[in-house]
Amino acid sequence: MNSIIELAHVSKRYGTRAALHDVELNIPPGITGLLGPNGSGKSTLIKAILGLVKIDSGTGRVLDFKWPEQTRALRDKIGYLPEDDCYIQGLQGIESIQMMARLSGLPKLEALRRSHEVADFCDIGQERYRNVETYSTGMRQKLKFAQALVHDPPLVILDEPTTGLDPAQRDEFLDRIAVLAMEKGKHVILSTHILHDVRRICDHIIILAEGRVCVSDSLANLQRPIEAGIQVGVISDAERFAVGLTERGIRAEVTSAQYVKISGLDGQPLDPLWKASVELGVVIQRIDEARNSLEQTFLDAVRAS
Amino acid sequence: MPILDVGYRTWEGRRTPAFARWFVVAGTGISLVWRGTWLRRLLIFICLPSLVALAAVAIFEQSISDPSMRPMASGFFMSPNARITAARAGVDISNVLQNPEEMRHFAWSYILLALFRYPQAIGMILVIGLVSPRLISYDLRSRGYLLYLSRPLTASEYVLGKACVLFFLLALVTTIPALIVYVTGLLFSPNPWAIAETWDLPIRILSATVVLVIPTSAVALAFSSLTQESRYAGFAWFAFWVVGAVTYQALWLADRDGPWDEVSIEPSRWLLFSPYETLGHLQQEVFGLVGPDYQRISPWVACVVVSILGYGVAYWRVSRMLKA
Repeated sequence: MNSIIELAHVSKRYGTRAALHDVELNIPPGITGLLGPNGSGKSTLIKAILGLVKIDSGTGRVLDFKWPEQTRALRDKIGYLPEDDCYIQGLQGIESIQMMARLSGLPKLEALRRSHEVADFCDIGQERYRNVETYSTGMRQKLKFAQALVHDPPLVILDEPTTGLDPAQRDEFLDRIAVLAMEKGKHVILSTHILHDVRRICDHIIILAEGRVCVSDSLANLQRPIEAGIQVGVISDAERFAVGLTERGIRAEVTSAQYVKISGLDGQPLDPLWKASVELGVVIQRIDEARNSLEQTFLDAVRAS
Repeated sequence: MPILDVGYRTWEGRRTPAFARWFVVAGTGISLVWRGTWLRRLLIFICLPSLVALAAVAIFEQSISDPSMRPMASGFFMSPNARITAARAGVDISNVLQNPEEMRHFAWSYILLALFRYPQAIGMILVIGLVSPRLISYDLRSRGYLLYLSRPLTASEYVLGKACVLFFLLALVTTIPALIVYVTGLLFSPNPWAIAETWDLPIRILSATVVLVIPTSAVALAFSSLTQESRYAGFAWFAFWVVGAVTYQALWLADRDGPWDEVSIEPSRWLLFSPYETLGHLQQEVFGLVGPDYQRISPWVACVVVSILGYGVAYWRVSRMLKA
C-alpha cells in the first residue's frame, strides 16, 4: 500500500466559511503529523475522514475502504482520540473502555479482557475503577487513548493527545505511539500544535492553513537545509558569538536564544570555531548537523497561505 | 502497576454485526440508570398499585363461583370511573356483577385500563422525569456523543439506544405488572377457558404500552437533547404534563354546561390540550373500551406528530452537535 489515505477535491463549508477547500491529500504509512493554526480545518478533516461531518464534495480511499461511501464500516478500523474532553458520565474508567470495545463489536467478556490489557498498556492503574468524571486531565487523555486502541485499529487518529500531560507523561505517551507504529505496524495521524512532539515521532508532516494543504512532505525533507551547515548550541550570548564568528570570516546567524547556525564549514576542521569560543569566552554546549526549523517551516507555510 | 504487563497485543476475533451495536448504547444506559438507589425504590413503590389490580381481578374471578365475594368486587366496578367507562363502551355496568362470567372481558379490560391510566401513568411520568433528563443532556455536556459516534453508529441508532433505556423502564412500570395481572386472572379463574375469551388482552397490553412509550419517550428525549443542563429538561418534562393537565381542566370546567353531579361520557373537545388525557383516551381505545361513536382520529394524529417531532428534534440536536 503506497498510502493509507488518498483524498481528492474535498471541500466542506459551514455556511459561508470554507472549512476545507479542494483538499488533495496522500498520507503515507507510519506516523503523520497534522499541523495547522486554530481554525485551519484539522478537526473538520479528521471528522470528515471518520464520516462524522458530511462533506460537500470529494472522493477518496481510506485504508481499503471507499471514502466517503464506506465511513461506517471504516470506523471499525480507526481509533479516534478526540481533542475534546469527552466521557460518559457515571461510568468507571474500565467500563468506559469496555463500552467502546463493545461498540466496535468485541464480545462482552472479550471486551473486558482487552480493556484491562489496553489500560495496562496506557498506564492506567487502579484509577480504572474510579468514575471517569473524577479523572484529572492527564488521566482522561490516557483513558481516551485506551478507548482509541481497545479494538486494535490499524489506523489511529489522535487529536491533540498530549494536551494536559506533564513532561514525563508526555514522553511516555509519545513512546507508546512510537511503539505502536514501529513494532505493531499501526498508522498514526497526530494532530497537534506541539511541534516538539511532531519532531520527536513523526515521519511525515502535513500543514493545513485556511482549509488548504500547504505542505505535505516527509519530516526528513522538511528539515533538510538548502545549504549544509552545523548548528552550535551555546550556554549564553549567542548573539555575541555570531557577531564574533562573522568578524572572523565564518558565516553565522542566530537561530534562537542559544543556537547559532554556521554555514561553509562542511568537512573542514572545527578549529576556528573552538578558537573563537575561547577568544569570545562563549561556552559551546553542543554541535549538531544544521536542520531547517520546523517552527519556521510552519510559520512560512501559514503566512504564505 | 500490573504484576504482569503483556504490552500491546493485536486482537483478531469475530465482531458483532454493526447494525446491532446500538444495543450497547441501550445496555450502557440501562446499567447506568439502574445504579440509582432512588430509582429502584421508586420502581418498587410504583409497582405496588398493581397489587390492587391483581387483587381486583382475582376477586372478580372468584366471585364467579362464589357469589358471596361479589360485594367485594362491587367497590371496584361501581365507581364513577367504571360507570363512565362502561357507558362509553356501551356496557351495562350492573351486568358485571350480576353475570360476571359473561362480562369477563370488559371487567379485565377495565382493571387493566385503570392500572395503565392512573397509577402506572403517573408512575411513568415520575420515572421518566427522574431518568430521561440526563440521557442525552449529559452526553451533550460531557461530549460523550463523540465517543459513541466515532464507532459504527449513526445518530439515529444513538437516539434509538437512548430511547430503549426508557422503553425498558416503562416496560417494568407498565407492561410487566399488567401482564402479571392478566396471568393472575387466568390462575384465579374457575374456568380454564377464560384464556379463550381474553386471548387478545396481552396484545392490547403490548399495544397500550407502545401507545404510551413511543410519544412519551420522544418528548422526553427531545427535552433532554435541547439542553446541556438536565434540570431544565426535567423541569420542561414535568411542566409539559402539569401545564397540559391544568389547561385541560380549566377549559373543561369552563365548557361544561350540565349540573355538577352529572358527568359527560363524551370525551372533551379540549382533550388534545392534555397529554395525559390524550394518552388515556388512546389507551381506552386500545383496550376496546369505547364505542364506535367515541372513536376519534385526532388523538392518534397528535400522538404520531408528537412522536415524529420528538425523535426528529433529538436526532437533529445530536447530528448538529458534530458540526460544532
